[in-house]
Amino acid sequence: MPVASWLEPTSLDQACDLLADDEFESTALAGGTAVSLMLKMGFLDPERLVSLARLPGLDQIDVGDDHVDIGAAVSLSQVAQHATLRACLPSLATACASVGNVRVRNIATLGGNLAEADYASDPPAVLVSLGAVCVIRGPSGERRAGVEDVVVGHYTTSLEPGELITSVRIPTPPGRSATYLKYLTRSSEDRPCIGVAARVDRAEARPDASVTGLDVVVGAVAGTPQRVAEATEAEVGRPLDRAAADRLATAYAEAIDPIDDARGSSWYRTQMIEVFVRRAVIELSDGPGRGGTA
Amino acid sequence: MTAHTSVIGTDFPVRDARDRVTGSIRFVLDHAVPDMAHARLVTSQLPHARIRSIDTDAATAMPGVVTVVTGADLVDRDGLDPYFGDQRADQPAIAIDKVRHVGEPVAVVVADSAATAREAALRVVVDYDPLDHVVDAEEALELGAPTLHDAHPGNDCGAWGLHRGDVDAALADADHVYRGTWTTPPGSHVPMEPHVCIARWEDEAHDGRTGNGDDRGHGGRSLHVWSAAQSPHAVRTALSGMFGLPEDDVRVEVGNLGGAYGAKGQVKIEPLVACAALVAGRPVRLELDRDEVFFTIGRHAAVVRLTTGMDAQGHIVARDVDVVYNAGAYAVTSPGATRQALVRAPGPYRLANVRLRSRAAYTNTVPTGPFRGAMTAQVCFAYESQLDDIAADLGIDPVELRRRNLLREGDVFATGEELEDVHFTSLLDDAATAIGWDEPLPATAPGRVRGRGLGIMLKSTITPSRTEVRLAVDTAGRIRLDSSSVEMGQGVTATLVQLVADWLEVDPDLVDVPAPDTARTPFDTTTSSSRTTFSAGAAVRDAIAALRDELAALAAGQWGCDRDDVEVDGGTVMRRADPASAVTWAELVAASGRDEVLVDGVFQSRDELDSTDPMDVHGRATVHWHQGAAAVEVEVDVETGRVTVERAHGNCWAGRVVSPLRVRQQNQGCIVFGLGPALFEQVVYEGGQFTNPNLSEYLLPSILDVPRDLTSSALEGGPDSELHGVGEMALPGLAPAIANALFHATGARVRDLPLTPERVLRALREAGATPDRATGTIPERASDPAGTGAGDPTTMGGASAHA
Repeated sequence: MPVASWLEPTSLDQACDLLADDEFESTALAGGTAVSLMLKMGFLDPERLVSLARLPGLDQIDVGDDHVDIGAAVSLSQVAQHATLRACLPSLATACASVGNVRVRNIATLGGNLAEADYASDPPAVLVSLGAVCVIRGPSGERRAGVEDVVVGHYTTSLEPGELITSVRIPTPPGRSATYLKYLTRSSEDRPCIGVAARVDRAEARPDASVTGLDVVVGAVAGTPQRVAEATEAEVGRPLDRAAADRLATAYAEAIDPIDDARGSSWYRTQMIEVFVRRAVIELSDGPGRGGTA
Repeated sequence: MTAHTSVIGTDFPVRDARDRVTGSIRFVLDHAVPDMAHARLVTSQLPHARIRSIDTDAATAMPGVVTVVTGADLVDRDGLDPYFGDQRADQPAIAIDKVRHVGEPVAVVVADSAATAREAALRVVVDYDPLDHVVDAEEALELGAPTLHDAHPGNDCGAWGLHRGDVDAALADADHVYRGTWTTPPGSHVPMEPHVCIARWEDEAHDGRTGNGDDRGHGGRSLHVWSAAQSPHAVRTALSGMFGLPEDDVRVEVGNLGGAYGAKGQVKIEPLVACAALVAGRPVRLELDRDEVFFTIGRHAAVVRLTTGMDAQGHIVARDVDVVYNAGAYAVTSPGATRQALVRAPGPYRLANVRLRSRAAYTNTVPTGPFRGAMTAQVCFAYESQLDDIAADLGIDPVELRRRNLLREGDVFATGEELEDVHFTSLLDDAATAIGWDEPLPATAPGRVRGRGLGIMLKSTITPSRTEVRLAVDTAGRIRLDSSSVEMGQGVTATLVQLVADWLEVDPDLVDVPAPDTARTPFDTTTSSSRTTFSAGAAVRDAIAALRDELAALAAGQWGCDRDDVEVDGGTVMRRADPASAVTWAELVAASGRDEVLVDGVFQSRDELDSTDPMDVHGRATVHWHQGAAAVEVEVDVETGRVTVERAHGNCWAGRVVSPLRVRQQNQGCIVFGLGPALFEQVVYEGGQFTNPNLSEYLLPSILDVPRDLTSSALEGGPDSELHGVGEMALPGLAPAIANALFHATGARVRDLPLTPERVLRALREAGATPDRATGTIPERASDPAGTGAGDPTTMGGASAHA
C-alpha cells in the first residue's frame, strides 16, 4: 500500500502519541535514509509516516565538563565536522564521517542511526565502546538506557511503541582515548566488513599510565556490536602493550562467531577481528587515538 | 575569408558540458508524451519454471488500471511475432509458457499513473511449476542438464574454433608447458540512467502519409518509440519484424543516454513496451527499477583454460585456449560474440601454433551481452596473468618476456590475416615507463608491500558494419550532420562537429548534429564496440567529398561553366579564373531555390571472417585492431589481503586523435570503470536467485577508490593515420595488471575475479606470504607460482624492483 499520510508533529508528546497509537501502521522518520530504502524494498509498509523534522530541541550539541549530549536529530555530518566533538570524541567523529557517503551523512541523524539498529553501520559500536546512554521519551515519560541495551538484535531495538530516542549522552572523562577502525572489502562507500571501536581510560593522560578502564567493541560481525568483557576486564590495571593487543586479538577472534555475508565469510571475519582488534589496541597503546579508517 | 584553423587534435569542448555538470541536460528518462500510461513489470522469482496460470483479475479491477498484458495476449495476436533477438529470435517480449531466469518479465501492468501500476503489479498472481535450473555454463553443457530452449539442445549458444599450425606437436616439443584456469564471474553494467522506453502507435505514417489501411493487424498504424538505446536501427529492425511493419513505419528516437557501457545495445525493453502500448491502446512508458536493470542484461561470466608452451629462450611456441562463456537465458549477441571472442582469445602474441575454442551456453541467469571490453577482459585476465607466471618461472622480466613475443607489423595472426598498424611494443614501453617499471618501489609501512604489474590486449571491432550519414547546407549557411550515432556522455557529438568543421574548413559553431531519429537520421549499425569515431568518421569524409561535388555542380550550373572550373573552399565557391566570383554557400543554396543541399555519406566494412566451418574460423576479423595496455602499482595489506591500486596508467593506440582530452578521459574512465570488476564487482547467484540486484550489495568504485596517481597516454599517428575508437582499450589489461602486481609484491596468484581481500588472503597463505606478526615483513617465497617446481624466487622478491 502506498503511504496514506505524512504527519509532522510539533511536540515530542504529540509524536509519541501518534507513534504509540498504532505501532504497526506508523513509522517514525528523521533523515529518512533508512526508512525510504526500506519502503522501496517493501520491508516497511506503514499507513502513515511520522516525520520528526519539526520537533523542537533535538538538534542541539551540548558539551559539558564530563559528558556531551548530542540531540537525536543531529546529522552524522554535524557530528563528523564539529570541532569540539572531533577533539573530545574522535572515534565517534571518525565513525560518523565514514558512514555511506556525504549525501547520506548530511541527512541521516544519530538518533535514526541507532533506531535503525543496522548491524553494519559504524556509529553503534563506537557509542557502545564509549558507554553512551540514550535518552528515550515515550508515552509514559522519559527513561535512559545504554546503547547496548537499545540495539538488541539484527535491525532490532528495545524501543517500545511510541518511544523515541531524543538524545545521546556520551561520557568524556579525563584520561580517555579512543579509536575506530573501519575495514572495507569492496568500494570506499561500502558498509564495513568489520569495524572495531576501542576505548581506554587511564589514571593520567599519559600513554604509559595504568589502565583504569578498557573496552573493545566489534561492529558488523553479528546482529549487535560485540564485546568480550572477560578479555577487556583482564587488562585493567596492566600496561596496554603489544602483548595485551595480542591477547585481546586472540580472545576476540576466539569468542565471536561472526556472520557470513557478501562483505566477508565467517572465516574471513574471524581473521579480520584478530587483525583489527590488535591494530586498534596498538593504536591506543601508542598514545591517544585520533581515530582513522583502515 | 579567413584561414581555417584545424579543430581536429584540439580539446574542443562538449557543447553541453555545463548542463551536464549542473545536471540540467535532458535524458531519454526525462521524455514524456501526451496521454501516456505507465507500465510496471511483474517479474519471475524463479530461475526456471512453467507458467501454469496468471491471475490478473485483482490488478485489472483496480481503478486506474488500463490493462494487464501477459504472454498469452501476444501468442495468437494477428500480425505479431512476440519473439525477438539479435541473432536468434529466442526471447519473448513477455514470458510465454515458461520463465528462464529470475527477473524475467511475466506480466506488464499498464495504468494511468506509475504509482497505480506499481500497486496493481503486486496483485498479479502467477502460478508456476518449477523446473530444474542451471546457473553454471559448464554444467549447462553437460549431458542431462536442464534444457532452456527446445530449439537449442545441449544449451548451445554458439561454438567456434580454429587451429593453426600443430599445437599438440609443438606442446610436446616445448621446453616448458604451463596450464591454468581463470574465471570471471557475471557482472553488470549499471548505467546511471535505467532502461527507459515510450511506445506510441500512430495513425499517420512517419513520412506524412495517412494510415494505409492495410490489414497488417495493427490497423495500418505505425509505431513511434523513444528509447535509451545504443542501436536505434537495431530496435527499428526488430520492431518492424515483430509487428510486420515496413521499417519506415517504425520510428525510433534517441536522446542523451545516461550511460550505457553495452547495457543498452541491440534491443532490450522496446518490444515489451510496444506490445503493451498495442494492447493498451495508449502510449505506454516504462522505466526500469534498478533491480530490473540488473535483470535485463549483464556481462558474460567465463571460464578460460589456457595452455602455453615455451622454448628455452622465452618464446611462445604454442597456445591452446578453451573459453566457455555464460550466455544467460537468451542469446542476445552471444552466438556471434563468441566468434568475436575467439579471435580475441590468443592475445597480442606471435603464435605459430595456436588452437582456439570459444563456446557459450544458455543458463537460467540474466541474459548477457557486450560489456565495455567485451569478450576481451575475460581472456586477457587469463593470458596476461599466465605470462607473468611464466616470466617468474623462467626468470625473465615480464616486460622483456612480452617484448620477445608481441605481434609486430606484418606478422600473421591466428586467423591467417597479415597484421598492419601494429603498435604493441610501443604500448608496452609506454606502460612500463609510465609506471616506473625499473624504478625501486617506495618504502611502505610494516605489513604492507608494493608491486607493479601490467596487461596488454588486442580487440577486434564489430565487422562488418555500416554507418550512413547525411550532410546538409541550408540557405543560412548552417551545416547539419544527420547521424544515428548515440550520445551517451562519450562526446560523440563533439567529435562529429570537429570532423565536419575541420574537413569542411568551416567554423564549428555553424555545425549542428541533431539527436538520432530513424525517421530522419540514416542507418547506423550501433554505437558500441569502439567503432563510432572510425566508422562515422569515414562516413563523414565520404559525405564531405559528395558535398563539395554537389556544391561545385550547383555553382557550375548557375554559372554555366565547367564543374572543374569551380573551386569549393571553406564556406565559399568561386570560379577558379575569377576570385571576385566567390559566393557563400548560403548564397549559392539560396540562388538554387532549394531549402538545402543534401548529400549522403557511407562507411561499409566488408571484411568478414569465414566461418563456413565453425571449427575452422579464418579470414579478416576486423577493419582494424584495437590495442591498449594498463599498468599499476599496488599496495597489499598482507594481514587482510586488501589490494589498493596506488598508481595506474592506461594507454591505447589512438591513430589520428580528434580530441586529446576525450582520449585521456576514455583511458582514465577505463581504469576507474575497471577497478570494480577487478577488485569487487560480481553478480552472485545462490540457488538460482540473483542475490545482489541493488547498489548496496553490488558495489561500484567511488571517487575515493580512484588511484591517487592516474595517468594516460594516447599513442598517436600522423595526420594520415586512421581514426580510432578508444572507449575500451585500457580496460581489459587492468585486472591482470592488478593480479600481476599482487603476484610481484607477494608471490600470491589469484586466478578468479574479483580479487577480493578474502581470496587474496587465502592466496597469500598458500604462497607462504603470511606476515611475521612482530615486524610485518613477509618471509621469503616458499612456493613457485607456476607450479612447475622450477621457480626462481629471486626474480620476483617481495620489495624489489623488476629485474
